[in-house]
Amino acid sequence: MAPRFTDGELEAYLDEALSPEEMAVVEAELRVDQELARHLAGINARRDAGVHTLGEVWRRHRISCPSREQLGSYLLRALPAEDCDYVAFHVEKIGCRLCLANLDDMKRQRDEVDTTVVTRRTKYFQSSAGYLKRDQ
Amino acid sequence: MTAASETDRLLIHRIREGDSSAWNDLISRYEGRLLAFVESRIGRRAVSEDIVQEAFIGFLNSLPNFDGRRPLESYLFSICAYKLTDHMRREGRRPALPLSAGADSGGEWQLASPARAASSIVRSGERRDLEEKSLVDALQQQVQRWKERGDWCKLKCIELLFVRGWANKDAATELGITEQQVANFKFDFLARIRSIIRKQGLSEDVFPEMYQD
Repeated sequence: MAPRFTDGELEAYLDEALSPEEMAVVEAELRVDQELARHLAGINARRDAGVHTLGEVWRRHRISCPSREQLGSYLLRALPAEDCDYVAFHVEKIGCRLCLANLDDMKRQRDEVDTTVVTRRTKYFQSSAGYLKRDQ
Repeated sequence: MTAASETDRLLIHRIREGDSSAWNDLISRYEGRLLAFVESRIGRRAVSEDIVQEAFIGFLNSLPNFDGRRPLESYLFSICAYKLTDHMRREGRRPALPLSAGADSGGEWQLASPARAASSIVRSGERRDLEEKSLVDALQQQVQRWKERGDWCKLKCIELLFVRGWANKDAATELGITEQQVANFKFDFLARIRSIIRKQGLSEDVFPEMYQD
């Protein structure tokens, strides 16, 4: 039987880079499949030893990710058709979590009430500004 | 997506000088996408906000070691992913694994592959960074070329093969091309990347998948 997950997908799982639905499926399988857990640990050991895979490097450096501006244009349907088709592929088929987060954020900005955003940002600022240091 | 923007570089410079308004600007610029990233996985707004808050504090604590040439967004996402994973482990949602390749593992966790045993090629962090940078440069050049030429099918194909790890057959079906075309795309891509790696005088052992087949 073919493995349920490719090594590329398991590497993405370790990087918290699969779509939320796929992450949940891998987690559920790991709870019941010791062979999968061993295989995943093997991948992790290889990464620890510094053996590169193209997929990891590609994801980490976001080699093919569109810019935030391009993602914004995609939402506005202002990209040329082929570029638009590629962004849809990258987000839906490859499942790029970081581009998806950018898209969700831009969609929310259209809908969210300003006061909610200001309150949240103030909370972040007040809880972290004490960690600001000079001459870092 | 890999170069740090001028705006981010200036923000970091001001934050390093203790400028609180710059810190506020950074929060405003990035909190929404970080929250969307976490919430898509956790599904609970209040907990997600707490994790983003921890990520911002983690960023300030790590700032002395942050390389300003790195893209800030990717760095913030990586801190956020770490905090998120940590949270999910504590909640028991993310199963624990024997994640260390320590000496007591007895080689049990070595991946079955044509690559050399991982323990035999452990090397310095500096060396690894150099190898990774060379590979990134090569990949960026190739992807940029495809985008400029409108070779979207090649880009999609290579992304399916190497980022998702799909088999040639599945990629061919997805893209509506033949398996032979997929094999040709893969061959050309690997040949080009290998050539660049070789020119840099880097060890082939650390890029095993480029020398399979």
